Amino acid sequence: MQIGLIGSSKNVIFDPDPRAKLSMLLAVNIVMISGGAAGVELVLRAVCAALPFLLLLSIRHFRAAVIYFILLGTAVYCEGFVLPYTHGIAGILLMIPCGILTRFTAGYVMCWYCVKSVSVSEFVTSMEKMHTPYFITIPLSVMFRYFPTLGEEYRSIHDAMKTREIGQSVKNPLIYIEYVLVPIMMSTVRIADELSAASLTKGLSAGGKRTHICEVRLTAADRLLILCSFAMIILFFVF
Amino acid sequence: MKEKFEIKELINVGVFTALYFVVVFVTCFIGMVPICMVLIPLVIPIVAGIPLMLFYSKIKRFGMFTISGVLFGLIMFLMGSYSWVILLTCGLAGLLADVVLMLGGYKSIKHCIAASAIFSLWGIGTFISLFFGFREEYLQNITSGYGQEYVDALSSFTPAWMFYVMAAMCIVGGIIGGLLGAAVLKKHFRKAGMA
Repeated sequence: MQIGLIGSSKNVIFDPDPRAKLSMLLAVNIVMISGGAAGVELVLRAVCAALPFLLLLSIRHFRAAVIYFILLGTAVYCEGFVLPYTHGIAGILLMIPCGILTRFTAGYVMCWYCVKSVSVSEFVTSMEKMHTPYFITIPLSVMFRYFPTLGEEYRSIHDAMKTREIGQSVKNPLIYIEYVLVPIMMSTVRIADELSAASLTKGLSAGGKRTHICEVRLTAADRLLILCSFAMIILFFVF
Repeated sequence: MKEKFEIKELINVGVFTALYFVVVFVTCFIGMVPICMVLIPLVIPIVAGIPLMLFYSKIKRFGMFTISGVLFGLIMFLMGSYSWVILLTCGLAGLLADVVLMLGGYKSIKHCIAASAIFSLWGIGTFISLFFGFREEYLQNITSGYGQEYVDALSSFTPAWMFYVMAAMCIVGGIIGGLLGAAVLKKHFRKAGMA
């Protein structure tokens, strides 16, 4: 899985500053998760639902954008037009996935976009510019880098279990958890060791000011985006 | 915090916090059925306690786990859709667990299990909006999104005393998770020299 490589390539239509992306992420999550749909909130929600779609288009992930559009569209349609006519068990069964989809999809797609388009170097630099202490920045950047690795590790473990024909035969959930969790924990320990060895060769623990070649700078458009995001959050809490 | 953290420690914090979050998140999926939702505070600490104990065995300095708690709260707030209260409970639970670990000198297994029970109290932040002064507002809030039937089902499962039951379930789950984690460490990691 390629992380943070798209943002640095040339064929990106519009690449905001990491700080602008983070403030948009915050706004989308806060607005989408409470489910109100009336007056100003409806407008805010519409804007926040459209934002990840446009951003996905801007990094040329057309397939992901279309999937996102269909998923969210179906869920909103079901919630608005089908749910009022269903009752009882069927209503609850339909309502739970729809409610989850309408609330979370936008936020997750936004997160995915941020992880995809911000490189670790850009992220650390923009955190430094916000004067975040190093003992927050380093764990945070390790964390964001580690999520996709965890997915890879899980897939490898799953494959290994399949070739040894264990997996389906394990009925006891506790045993299954042990079979999956222990190898993941093993590799977590190993990866942490390797990462710290890598940071040692990069001279991260040597002290001194960190230098970088990636350009991180707030343009007028970025400032506008940050302003709009916070305006949306404030509007959301006032109304 | 007497001296600067080593990079290796900070990397451990990042990696294990990510692992903890993923385990919590995956376990959360069983909570999509309204009845299981009440059992979540018990189940999550049991499963998540296993990697937590491995993390505890790596901690050698005060402050590491507090950072971990704050970061975990931050990411739960961003992706887990809870109110800002979660930031507070995660940070506080991390700090308290850190103090307990320090009292044990970062070696005692008993203190580690106690710290696992205390840290699982962060779960209070996820369900506190169902109780006390927040209840009316929260139920009203989700009525527009989830519909009256869901809210009725939810409120029938959660009378006021349920808060204490759920908090107790957090602690019990944390203790079971800690014991399980200690057993797993003994079985798999001691021999390999990894814990």
